Amino acid sequence: MTATAIPTTPTWAGATPHVVVIGAGIAGLIASLRLRAAGARVTQITKGLGGIQLGQGSIDILGYTPDRVSAPLEAVAAFAAAHPAHPYSRIGVDAVRTGVEYLQQVAGPDLLVGDAEHNVNLPTAVGAIRPTALVPPTMVAGELHDGLKLVIIGIAQLKDFHPMLVAQNLSRTTLPDGGHVTARAVMTDFEPRPNEFDATGLTFARALDDPKTRRTFAEGIKALVNEGETVGLPAVLGGEDHKAAFAEICQIIGAPVFEIPSLPPCVPGMRLNEALVKAVKDARVEFILGTKVTGFTAADGHLVSVTASTAGHKREIAADAFLLAAGGFESGALKLDSHGHPLDTVLGLPVKLPDGVDEEHLVTDKYWGVAQPLFKVGVDVDESMKVVDGGSPVYDNVYAAGGVIAGATRWQEKSGEGIALGSAVKAADAILASLPVVAATGLAASSPLAASAERN
Amino acid sequence: MRTMDADVVVIGGGATGAGVVRDVAMRGFSAVLLDKADLGQGTTGRYHGLLHSGGRYVVSDPESATECAEENEIVTRIHADAVEKTGGLFVVTPDDPMEFSDQWTEGATKSKVPWTEISTAEALRREPRLNPGIKRAFAVHDGTVDGWQMVWGAAHSAEDHGAKVLTYTAVTEIIREGDQVTAVIAHDLKNDEQVTITTRFVINTAGPWAGRIADLVGCHDVEVVPGRGIMIAMNHRLVNTVVNRCIYPADGDILVPVHTVSIIGTTDVKADDPQRLAIPRNEVQQMFDSGEALIPGFREARAVHAWAGARPLFKDKRVAATDTRHMSRGMSILDHGTRDGVQGIVSIIGGKLTTYRLMAKNVVDVMCDQLGESRPCTTADEAVPGSADGHTYVITHRLRENEKARATHLEVKPKATDVAVAAKAGRTPSHAAIDDQIICECELMSRKMLTDLLAEQPDATLDDLRRQLRLGMGPCQGGFCSMRATGVALEDGGIDIERATGLLRLFLKNRWIGLWPILYGEQVRQTALDDWIFQGTFDVEHLPVPESEVEL
Repeated sequence: MTATAIPTTPTWAGATPHVVVIGAGIAGLIASLRLRAAGARVTQITKGLGGIQLGQGSIDILGYTPDRVSAPLEAVAAFAAAHPAHPYSRIGVDAVRTGVEYLQQVAGPDLLVGDAEHNVNLPTAVGAIRPTALVPPTMVAGELHDGLKLVIIGIAQLKDFHPMLVAQNLSRTTLPDGGHVTARAVMTDFEPRPNEFDATGLTFARALDDPKTRRTFAEGIKALVNEGETVGLPAVLGGEDHKAAFAEICQIIGAPVFEIPSLPPCVPGMRLNEALVKAVKDARVEFILGTKVTGFTAADGHLVSVTASTAGHKREIAADAFLLAAGGFESGALKLDSHGHPLDTVLGLPVKLPDGVDEEHLVTDKYWGVAQPLFKVGVDVDESMKVVDGGSPVYDNVYAAGGVIAGATRWQEKSGEGIALGSAVKAADAILASLPVVAATGLAASSPLAASAERN
Repeated sequence: MRTMDADVVVIGGGATGAGVVRDVAMRGFSAVLLDKADLGQGTTGRYHGLLHSGGRYVVSDPESATECAEENEIVTRIHADAVEKTGGLFVVTPDDPMEFSDQWTEGATKSKVPWTEISTAEALRREPRLNPGIKRAFAVHDGTVDGWQMVWGAAHSAEDHGAKVLTYTAVTEIIREGDQVTAVIAHDLKNDEQVTITTRFVINTAGPWAGRIADLVGCHDVEVVPGRGIMIAMNHRLVNTVVNRCIYPADGDILVPVHTVSIIGTTDVKADDPQRLAIPRNEVQQMFDSGEALIPGFREARAVHAWAGARPLFKDKRVAATDTRHMSRGMSILDHGTRDGVQGIVSIIGGKLTTYRLMAKNVVDVMCDQLGESRPCTTADEAVPGSADGHTYVITHRLRENEKARATHLEVKPKATDVAVAAKAGRTPSHAAIDDQIICECELMSRKMLTDLLAEQPDATLDDLRRQLRLGMGPCQGGFCSMRATGVALEDGGIDIERATGLLRLFLKNRWIGLWPILYGEQVRQTALDDWIFQGTFDVEHLPVPESEVEL
């Protein structure tokens, strides 16, 4: 296979899929890969690009309980026990560990480093100190420790990154383990393309894929760095060619360099998203972008098929099992209508409100220091990630993974990817166990390598 | 402590106060305008943006209707840059009785409000989203006016005529010698400093707070009933002309296209405290239902923000205190000399934004009488700064300005090579190169608009800037621009990191006040993304918490 060939036709074209996965965020992509690796025929439908590139580009497992967490996997068990309504209480720590390891295998060390046992504290684009677990290699040097000397460098043509905000807030903050960093800010000029004065991070990332441009850029940055400083830059250091771009920029600057993510789209998230989507396509998952589920047929507590609508075209897709991994309110999979009723817009599944909260009190008048109950609304699942209502399955073959599951405020807990990965693994494994054909071959084959073996 | 001296002190920087200070300054008096908050932060900024044709009042209050029709023309002329000539429609919806429309045409003719009847087909051609079941339609000269732009226009005009405008300066005392007012003592809240202004005359234009100001000088029982009304801004212009329901004035009878949004309003409920106005869930639902009557499918549109304003209604003993809609909306001028035996102060209460200039004229005429001065009002003759060319606002004007800036960018801004050389040498950037960056995409607000206003008002909050620049008022409600604006304020605004971070916290909190009551549909999705940005990616909740929150 050449690098330019994009395999879009599954080897099993024409056959009915075993599983339809709805959504292409981290939950949907990892579930598809795991299902496919075990031999299942998978059709993945997504309305748009998944949410990986809208976040911070690292892998969160658990950051706050609300106390700052330093050992996330260890903390998940206790947190789950203390919060029975939280998705982690159904997912369990083992599935999270398996999910993270599985992602690491797929992504490889060029995209993610670190482990699920330890959080690192990284500076954010407003200068807060944020815990996260696995990080892109481009963020490693940003781990904060006492005595670290930082220079945060902004580019005037990139309005989404303000180095004074980062440096001055970092300088006045005591680190979680005590101690301080010193940080100074520099703003410089750099046009990603001639005369471009209002560019997005993506434009910079693409410009820095060009070796000549990134050398000019890195030379310019080098002149701003003092002896002994670690260099914080906006997360734009290369797009498709990020590995070579980052290596060369680091080498020219001659000091430790790290990226700080800012407003979406998040370039490090895009790198991971592209790698995972490519892996899904390479594994011969039928990947259908730009497609909404607009209807379904069900009989006797069993979901028979979904209607997938692409532009004006509709297609009925029957399958043995369905995985809803379409995200929460941020994607539109969940919706609050104008009368204040929350609902699942994809399959019309019943949604669960937080305990003790009625529809009239889903949103509170406080902005600071509270989690809005609304964002804990989602579908309820059992330990196999099967969607349940009052404890009983809604359908015998519908599962959920990721942000659509009730009970978490992912962005405040810093738990989004951990929930997505753990629930994707659990759902995929439960689905595989329910598929007679695949179950015969056993789950032992469920490594990312199995898919390539089949391909060869 | 600062001391000042002025012929006239005007208390309250809403439309009336700004109109009064402009009027007295143009008549040659030295004047100071005081407000405890920003200009137009009370009732003036919390309305639906309608510049009345008068059509709304042709049956209920014909005198007001005539005044509105006259002042509409004047305001359009002197505040051209704040006014959009949208035109208006009065429509009879399927739910409304036909009889009222006959009364309406009769009233409109009598009160000299220009109108023409158009066919329902023509009305639907002009506004395709209108309820196709409308039974009758009339075209009127309604327009829309940006209350903040108007108030700042009047204030800048007053300053050009020598007046001083002091915002965030709260009146604490009004001094009398015998029965004569001699001085006003105020507290400059941002600089924590006392300001004493010796004066011969005070004009109380404090709107819903007018009773409290009158109390300070010993004029009691000035009862101002705040009539609370909620308004909801719907994303986009669902209509391009003002659409009124042709019924006796009622709740939710109007949809007003202002800037990039359309505003539905309003309700009318007696409130206790003009400082704390609720946006109750049932009233929000009532607005959506009213919207459905005018525009079918209204509930599927996206609400981006809500607010409540307090009509300052002077209590008339003839009607029950709870029925605020039927209190006089005409202005009441209280001469405290005859009413309370206190010389050198009058209060003006009530009225409408559309007739603000006339109200100012009337109260300043009263003052001139009392002072024995004969100086004519000239406020209708001269446009405020920025409106001299008579060009009214059009929705695309920022786009046009930005396109022009882009077109000239290559000629006047540093060339790419210069920038590359600067980057190599590690020089700090030239601001000219980035002046045209769009900091708030929803409202097309450029970096230069922000830095220019910050230079003028270095102690402004992001909300102060918002009222003049529309920062954060679009669909994302600050999700993308508020971090950028904070960064720019820190880089160029001469503020320190604690204040910058505090301003960001305050802005996010204040945006939420108008968001949470109307959170549904696509705005929930936006809020989830905004929360993900601020609480997730930025982890803004774990920045150092200030010892005390920035509030001004």
